[in-house]
Amino acid sequence: MSWETVIGLETHVQLSTKTKLFSRASTAFGASPNTNVNLIDCGLPGVLPSVNKEAFYKAIRFGMAVNATINQTSIFDRKNYFYADLPKGYQITQMDLPIVLGGSIEINLDGLTKTINITRAHLEEDAGKSIHDEFDGFSAIDLNRAGTPLLEIVSEPEISSAKEAVAYMKAMHQLVTFLDVSDGNMAQGSLRCDANVSIRKKGDQELGTRTEIKNINSFKFIEKAINFEIKRQIKILENGEKVTQETRLYDSSKDETRPMRSKEFANDYRYFPEPDLLPVVISDEEITKIRDEFPELPKEKEIRYQKQFGLSAYDAQIIASSKSMADFFEAALKKTKNYSLLSNWLIGEISAYLNKNQIEIHESKLSADNVAMLINRIDDQTISGKIGKSIFEEMCESGSSVDEIIKSQGLKQISDDGAIEEIILTVINENPDQVAAYLAGKDKLFGFFVGQVMKLTEGKANPKTVNTILKNKLK
Amino acid sequence: MSIQFKTIVELRAMLDSKQISAAELMQESLGLAKKHEELNCFVTMNEEQALKKASAIDLNEKTTSNLSGIPLAQKDLFCTEGLRTTCSSKILSNFIPPYTATAVKNLEDAGSVTIGKTNMDEFAMGSSNETSFFGSVHNPWKKEYVPGGSSGGSAAAVAAGIVPAATGTDTGGSIRQPAAHCGITGLKPTYGRVSRWGMIAFASSLDQAGPLARTSEDCAILLNAMSGFDSKDTTSLNTEVPDFLENINNPINGIRIGIIKEFNLADLDSQVQERFEESKKTYEKLGARFVEVSLPNISASVPTYYSIAPAECSSNLSRFDGVRFGYRAENTDDLNDLYIKSRSEGFGDEVKRRILIGTYALSAGYYDAYYKKAQQVRRLIKEDFEHAFESVDLLMTPTSPNTAFKFGSKGTQNPVELYLEDLFTISSNLAGIPAISIPHGLVNSLPAGLQLIGNFLREDQLLNAAHIFQKNSDFHLLKPDLEGSQ
Amino acid sequence: MDQETVRTICYLARLDIDQSKSGKIQKDLERIIDLIGELQRINTSDVEPLYSPLEMTSFMHEDIESSDNKKERFLENAPASNENYFLVPRVVE
Repeated sequence: MSWETVIGLETHVQLSTKTKLFSRASTAFGASPNTNVNLIDCGLPGVLPSVNKEAFYKAIRFGMAVNATINQTSIFDRKNYFYADLPKGYQITQMDLPIVLGGSIEINLDGLTKTINITRAHLEEDAGKSIHDEFDGFSAIDLNRAGTPLLEIVSEPEISSAKEAVAYMKAMHQLVTFLDVSDGNMAQGSLRCDANVSIRKKGDQELGTRTEIKNINSFKFIEKAINFEIKRQIKILENGEKVTQETRLYDSSKDETRPMRSKEFANDYRYFPEPDLLPVVISDEEITKIRDEFPELPKEKEIRYQKQFGLSAYDAQIIASSKSMADFFEAALKKTKNYSLLSNWLIGEISAYLNKNQIEIHESKLSADNVAMLINRIDDQTISGKIGKSIFEEMCESGSSVDEIIKSQGLKQISDDGAIEEIILTVINENPDQVAAYLAGKDKLFGFFVGQVMKLTEGKANPKTVNTILKNKLK
Repeated sequence: MSIQFKTIVELRAMLDSKQISAAELMQESLGLAKKHEELNCFVTMNEEQALKKASAIDLNEKTTSNLSGIPLAQKDLFCTEGLRTTCSSKILSNFIPPYTATAVKNLEDAGSVTIGKTNMDEFAMGSSNETSFFGSVHNPWKKEYVPGGSSGGSAAAVAAGIVPAATGTDTGGSIRQPAAHCGITGLKPTYGRVSRWGMIAFASSLDQAGPLARTSEDCAILLNAMSGFDSKDTTSLNTEVPDFLENINNPINGIRIGIIKEFNLADLDSQVQERFEESKKTYEKLGARFVEVSLPNISASVPTYYSIAPAECSSNLSRFDGVRFGYRAENTDDLNDLYIKSRSEGFGDEVKRRILIGTYALSAGYYDAYYKKAQQVRRLIKEDFEHAFESVDLLMTPTSPNTAFKFGSKGTQNPVELYLEDLFTISSNLAGIPAISIPHGLVNSLPAGLQLIGNFLREDQLLNAAHIFQKNSDFHLLKPDLEGSQ
Repeated sequence: MDQETVRTICYLARLDIDQSKSGKIQKDLERIIDLIGELQRINTSDVEPLYSPLEMTSFMHEDIESSDNKKERFLENAPASNENYFLVPRVVE
């Protein structure tokens, strides 16, 4: 029997606003428990929400980028259910009139492009966090995250494999980071998704019974969780049994999905319009302003990098594909004029370092200023490319500037002719046999002399100067 | 000199002429509260803070506000920082808010002094004050009678002369009906006139805070201080607030008052009818013209209200879950058990009834037929009012079909019986328009209230018409015999 | 309204009704539902629901932080807490 997989993704994008969707408490990640919480986030009796304008603008920017319809009048609804980290007993979300309707996004997989349609995207508040395993017999509630603005983007069920799902999430990540609507930090939960997975016989029109895998927060886990679920469902169907519609969790330690216990039976969320908030209306002027201030997207950057800075198509594509890399490149350009050396370094040494450590450039200790100065010091021959590499390693460790490292380690390149000549004479005097052999025609020995000079200068001699003087002296 | 039954205007004169100091006034007011403890008006007193603030006021010579040093009572659903706020519910019986409601803060910033928090129907759900966890408030006029509700403690405290005025909230008549039953004046402002920040929500789209006082003039003084846009309540109105005292003495001749055709007054108790006819005559003498107007959908107000209010309340009261504040049941097996036990033990029967009705009205399959339908009818009712106000300035009805009733005599067998008492008051909440209740005489030794309903944001017209009535009558001067009343 | 519906609603609202009162509550609910049912006789086709008496649009706040964290007082009010968290009986997901 041949089976077909149908996947729809609900992506939760945490919007990068300074304050929460309905309060002015900070959204900063990593604060001490229950400190980014004000009266509203705590859901105290008598408090009222007010809407964060910036969250709306960011949602609209996303909608424009995927060519969606923007509902200039949108309303908030209450979704009622009880949970320990849901302070009010309801979540404020958008049901009937979401801010973004329709649209589509392109994904790339194995050189092929596919369009995935978007059903809708709406604003809602995040819940707090429950910690289940730190206190004996208790779950602990931290409301720091409660009220953080989320954009929930719902795709049509048009994704047909785990790999496509990953490609979709990667495209989504690229888009929301370039749009500056989210920092896209998956480890911190800024981008996560619920996957609706179902299986049907190839050629069937009707969808199979789906399961929903909740809260997957890495590209790797998306692929693994979906693949596990596909296999599990096919096995059930091949045994002639039926898939149960349910919510499941992916357990990465066991690489399996299992049903969630806390959602024991289907809830009735009793949505109704939030009476504490009036409809939000975005004016035509605001729409125009958002459109005018639209950020540059990867494709546009790629072309500009080639035109403006003479980058190769390949280099431009790599640098422009990641928001943090492109930001870094553009910031460094303000401090160095050697564009090609900078892009070489970004694609070479720097990318290698980041890949090795599995981090993004903004998570490293590298600053655009420091890297630009490193390029400048190589460019002006204060240091050699080779020393540049060892300085770079130190820079990654300490975050110090290139000049600090040169100073503290005495790494400055010796370009002074007199000093180099003196060392060269020492080398010649100390190695009479080799000099004789060289003069007798053993040209290969030239490298030996260069090596000796470098050894004595601890690699700081300018290689060009060494070559010139050495050639002169060995005539 | 006793300060009992004095108005704000009278107390202001006494303070200004140094007949009494703010501290003495506070002592007197607190003393009266204690003396009439059997009325059960207060849930929590604020004695120490009140005396401290009054003494500070005495030391400060400059008094610019007419509320400076005036003792007030606050309904116990306004959050007051550091002062217990219970909503007369077991579930909040230990709740100390970390902040103060805007309405109360505005009054306190104007110099008034909160002497305590008044008893009420639990979470403002009720019209007899019988649902309070702290026991019923007694009507100062006849102690075996209800004071009305839900702002029953505030109404009784003013009627007993303990404080000259108090705050209340009105979702379906909760200021006007107890004001009527206790023989005082109570105003429900336009929805959005007073900030709802810090007011513990019953039904968000209907709730509105307002004053209860001995006279409409004093109501105007309170409303002046309470009103205004508040960025913390995005449903508060961002419009200029007029000085409600400015035109309060304007003559009212030529004013057009509408009588609602659909309210069949002939069905009412004959004495209630008689009072109404008398008041009509008084207004006619003052130059008012009466017009019959039709509001075809107004008789649907009660079912509309009892769909919308419980729906909103069922959601608003979800936050009382025993997790972050309030009562938590002991010996619970798990989180769900904690919710169920805490809420079941923490809420009283009427609150539970309304939460269940609201949950039902919002649940899948019933939403369109109950909740959405009610909001559609609500629009029709609002349009009826808009149409009526094209030809009249005010509408006039009795505040309540009956005067106060004896404890336990209504609604215990069938709650709907009690809901129908709200017939005259509910529609102005649905439409968001202001309405005032003023005393207009006694029926069997119990006060009866006259309601005037105004157009959107026209509290000034209501206060003007009420004040002129009070200048030409003495019903508002009648006082209960607190020693003799049984 | 049958027993089963009452049970479902009670669960959704996280309320438990005393067995001795359940008959009375069921009857009360039926009466209130009957009362609300009177709305059905009004023709509301093409009538937009009125969710708020204010037919205006929402005021929005700027994205500027305003800190009024009262962590200690929040936790003080909680029935069970430690120095950092609100505590509830352990939840198994």
